[in-house]
Amino acid sequence: MAVFSVFQTTFFLALLSLRTLQSEVLSEPLPWAPESLKVSINSTHQCLHLQWSVHNLAYHQELKMVFQIEISRIKTSNVIWVENYSTTVKGNQLLHWSWESQLPLECAKHFIRMRSAVDDATTPEQRFWSNWSSWEEVDVQNSLGHEPLFVFPKDKLVEEGSNVTICYVSRSQQNNISCYLEGVRMQGQQLDPNVSMFNLHNVAFIRETGTNIYCKVDRGDDIKGIVLFVSKILEEPKDFSCETRDFQTLSCTWDPGRDTGLLKQLPQSYTLFESFSGKKTLCKHKGWCNWQVAPESQEMYNFTLTAENYLRKRSVHILFNLTHRVHPMAPFNVLFKDVSVTNATMTWKVHSTGNYYTLLCQVELYGEGKVIQKHNVSVKVNGELVLSGLEPDTEYSAQVRCANANHFWKWSEWTRQNFTTVEAAPSEAPDVWRNVKSVQGYCVVTLFWKPLSRLQANGEILFYNIVVEDLDRPSGLQLLSVPAPANRTELTLDQRAYQIHVTANNSVGTSPASVLVVSGDPGDEEVEEERVKGTEDGFSLSWKPQPGNITGYIVEWCDRPRDPLCDLQWKHLGPNTTSTVISSDAFRPGVRYNFRIYGISTEMVPYLLEKKTGYSQELAPSDNPRVVMSNLTSHSFTLSWKDYSTESQPSFIRGYHVYLKSKAGQCHPGSEKAVLSDDSVCCKYKIDDPKQKMFVVGNLQPESFYEFLVTPYSAVGEGPHGAFTKVTTPDEYSPMLIRIILPMIFCILLIMILCYLKSQWMKEKCYPDIPDPYKSSVLSLIKSKENPRLTIMNIKDCVPDTIEVVNKHEGTGKSPTEPEAAKPTYLYLLPAEESYSGPGPCICFENFTYNQAASDSASCGHVPVPTKAPSQLGLLTSSENLLTALEKNCMNSLEEIPAGESSLNYVSQVASPVSGDKSSLPTNPPQPELCSEYKMQMAIPLGLAAPSSSGSSSLSSITLLDEGEHYH
Amino acid sequence: MLPAAGELAAGDSWGMLACLCAVLWHLPAVPALNRTGDPGPGPSIQKTYDLTRYLEHQLRSLAGTYLNYLGPPFNEPDFNPPRLGAETLPRATVNLDVWRSLNDKLRLTQNYEAYSHLLCYLRGLNRQAATAELRRSLAHFCTSLQGLLGSIAGVMAALGYPLPQPLPGTEPTWAPGPAHSDFLQKMDDFWLLKELQTWLWRSAKDFNRLKKKMQPPAAAVTLHLEAHGF
Repeated sequence: MAVFSVFQTTFFLALLSLRTLQSEVLSEPLPWAPESLKVSINSTHQCLHLQWSVHNLAYHQELKMVFQIEISRIKTSNVIWVENYSTTVKGNQLLHWSWESQLPLECAKHFIRMRSAVDDATTPEQRFWSNWSSWEEVDVQNSLGHEPLFVFPKDKLVEEGSNVTICYVSRSQQNNISCYLEGVRMQGQQLDPNVSMFNLHNVAFIRETGTNIYCKVDRGDDIKGIVLFVSKILEEPKDFSCETRDFQTLSCTWDPGRDTGLLKQLPQSYTLFESFSGKKTLCKHKGWCNWQVAPESQEMYNFTLTAENYLRKRSVHILFNLTHRVHPMAPFNVLFKDVSVTNATMTWKVHSTGNYYTLLCQVELYGEGKVIQKHNVSVKVNGELVLSGLEPDTEYSAQVRCANANHFWKWSEWTRQNFTTVEAAPSEAPDVWRNVKSVQGYCVVTLFWKPLSRLQANGEILFYNIVVEDLDRPSGLQLLSVPAPANRTELTLDQRAYQIHVTANNSVGTSPASVLVVSGDPGDEEVEEERVKGTEDGFSLSWKPQPGNITGYIVEWCDRPRDPLCDLQWKHLGPNTTSTVISSDAFRPGVRYNFRIYGISTEMVPYLLEKKTGYSQELAPSDNPRVVMSNLTSHSFTLSWKDYSTESQPSFIRGYHVYLKSKAGQCHPGSEKAVLSDDSVCCKYKIDDPKQKMFVVGNLQPESFYEFLVTPYSAVGEGPHGAFTKVTTPDEYSPMLIRIILPMIFCILLIMILCYLKSQWMKEKCYPDIPDPYKSSVLSLIKSKENPRLTIMNIKDCVPDTIEVVNKHEGTGKSPTEPEAAKPTYLYLLPAEESYSGPGPCICFENFTYNQAASDSASCGHVPVPTKAPSQLGLLTSSENLLTALEKNCMNSLEEIPAGESSLNYVSQVASPVSGDKSSLPTNPPQPELCSEYKMQMAIPLGLAAPSSSGSSSLSSITLLDEGEHYH
Repeated sequence: MLPAAGELAAGDSWGMLACLCAVLWHLPAVPALNRTGDPGPGPSIQKTYDLTRYLEHQLRSLAGTYLNYLGPPFNEPDFNPPRLGAETLPRATVNLDVWRSLNDKLRLTQNYEAYSHLLCYLRGLNRQAATAELRRSLAHFCTSLQGLLGSIAGVMAALGYPLPQPLPGTEPTWAPGPAHSDFLQKMDDFWLLKELQTWLWRSAKDFNRLKKKMQPPAAAVTLHLEAHGF
């Protein structure tokens, strides 16, 4: 038992001692533990920078170690980062490690500690870690100062698409702080009562001056902000390549991509590095850089182009042989020598590229703007090429470019030069045709020829030679030279046959001759014209093959047949051809073209074979004929349009339509009803013969109104329905009436003229102003029949026996012009004939030309018997002078009247008182009434009271004064 | 307060310039300013006043463009930050009584000094502007402001006042320090434009006052009599 106790005690002691030993070992730092840990910060980059050393590591010792670093934020227990940093440690080496914080370091406290272990790669799980170092605290807030508000990070530069954390630190918890990104309020996360952070994801470039972020205290002026510079991402240079043109300079180019420049950051820079030579150059330009080729004939080049800005670096590489990147300079001194009619030798030079290189040059020959020849030539220094197969007198353009023959890289630029081949004699005879006219027994021949094409002319045609040979007299030659560019000439020949030779001449020589025979007789008339139908593509003409020897055919037409110079055209055709299509840009729809087909005999004599006429497109007639109407009767009229030309119409006229409109609307046989475009109905007469240009419209009604229209029609339609001509048929009897009435009118006119010419005589005879009793035929009649001693009665001898009283009733309302009112009443003052002791009877004349109205109002003999004598008396009294004159006149006239034996009752035409006793006038107002009376032949204008030489007139005036109100 | 950005188009400034040229052209024809003999400082004061008004107009357009270039909140119409970090800028605001009590010499000297400093800062602003168009506008404005400075110097010379000599070492320079953040720099730019606006406004008042003061005595008597007449 004791033994057991001793053993137990010894065991416990041993265990205790071991434990003690172990505890001693553990309490000391392990060798190679990190020590002297120092933490520094870089606010700009938001970096924590750690520096430490390794404990007990011998000077020469080198050990591979791993350091575990822990970073906590705000408090030590809040570990936000753990990282194992492996490195090889030497002796007393100071170790460094950096960590970039997403959160600005000013926004929160950070704690850092670390431990180490020997890095055993084989068994990392059995690693013996040293003890943790003590926590190192990083607190930047204390050093910020005393301002009330801070915003971090200050003026950070990031790339587009980055995530950025912003924070603010406030000194006062009472303040309510708002933060804004470009004026838009941000929602943050509170780290502690004074600090809030804002996470910005995937930030975008806004402007070169940066993105403004600011915080301000609500209800306060304080505002703090930062500018976040967001750079565009630097792109890799594209299309990087280098080449040389002279083996002295390498020109490298690339596409730089977008600019990443900011107010805070310069644009990206470019550096060119050549690895074989180890040379480096900073490029001054954004997209290209020159590199001096080393004189020691370096062939291989390995270039690295590096684009770099504050945030990023990007590189591209190329490796090449200099001789494979040769871009030759453009050839120069391009010349042409030995230029002939069809050949030319082209020479050029190239810039020297050393004796080892051969260039391949490409030559292109241009004629009329198109490439007509291509040649490849190997060239060392001078190039030469013979260009053949050229046309005479033609301008060509040749261009040349070169490239490295062994290793093609790029063609040089083109060098171009023009040249012209020399002239040759014209190769073809001119195409000649003629037009023959007979004028006064002579033959006027107009020769036409077409200008030779450029290929045929072989140079500039200067003149045309025309030789006229009289076939009857071979010796008779006539030479004519027409300078170019004339294409016609006129010859006047007699009726004999002539052979005409036409040649074209340039500076080198003469063309073959074109031969034509002109005979005096054109022989055109016998051939009938045939109609052809044209299309848009032209006229298809065919003709019968001619027996016998024919050298060819010619089709002739005019492009502008309506013009005096009709622009004669012709087409040569071979002897075996019997059809052709004539087309021309000048052909217009609605124009009639005439074609003549000639055969050319072996003697070169043309003779007309056929005539064709047609339209390329027929159009409806555009004009109606001018119609003349004649022979208008009550039942018919005739229409004619003789001057209407069917030849000049836009289509072949097939006939005419005569439209007749009438009120009756009945159409007679031979016509049909037609409805016009204005829905009016009329009768249509159809004339099928275009040559019939007259039409009689019959079966008409007399005294009826008609309208007619004549319009031509063709295959494509008829003429316009324009204005109808109006016509009215005459009355059936009117012609007869005219035959009677006209002579009658003539006779009346004749009588009237005669009356006018003999008016004085007529007046005296028929209606004298004052009838002269001596001249009166009545007197002579009486004289001759009864008593040849009868004479004119003297008024003195006339004793009045009656008074004519005009019975007027005032206020009766009757018109004074009524005959009853004016009817004279005769008062017989004297006894009848038996008791009459006067010298003779009175003769009373009734003048029938007397104006009844005037007599009613103003006759001296018709002085009304006054119902109120004083008023009339007064009137007369006041007109005493007048009455005196009146009396005198009357007395005079009475004196002239001889004492009458006549039994006729005569009423004098002058108004005179019955007696010459003036005193009796006032007391006997009716006394002025005379035994003789003459009715006034003239109406006195109403209201006129001027004294007159005639007593009757005066009396009339007096009467008017009294009764004016009735006669106005 | 500065006007809202882009209030006036650039074309308007040309119209204003043409108008100003016409005014300047016709100035000799104004009878009050066209007296024979020594015209005195009157015409040059009027010219300076007109130039001030023209620059005010020109700045309105330039400030709009530049503040847009800085971005919000600087181009917001109601942005009115405290005047921090812009202490070196000559301050235009002054107590009204103090302003009234300024004599002509002091008034002109203050104007001259202010524009000398502002011009210097403005040239710095021009150097750092990123866009060519903005640089052109700023350069044009600097030239005009240089003209105003010359005009003020002319008025001072006409009145017999010496030009203020800059003290050695106090020449303002455009050199933002390393501690000067970009945001504060933008704030300085904002304040520079704002002070410039206020100074131009104040100068217009100054020269208007001077102009009235320098009116010919005859005119003054007439006005006096008219006043009594009322």
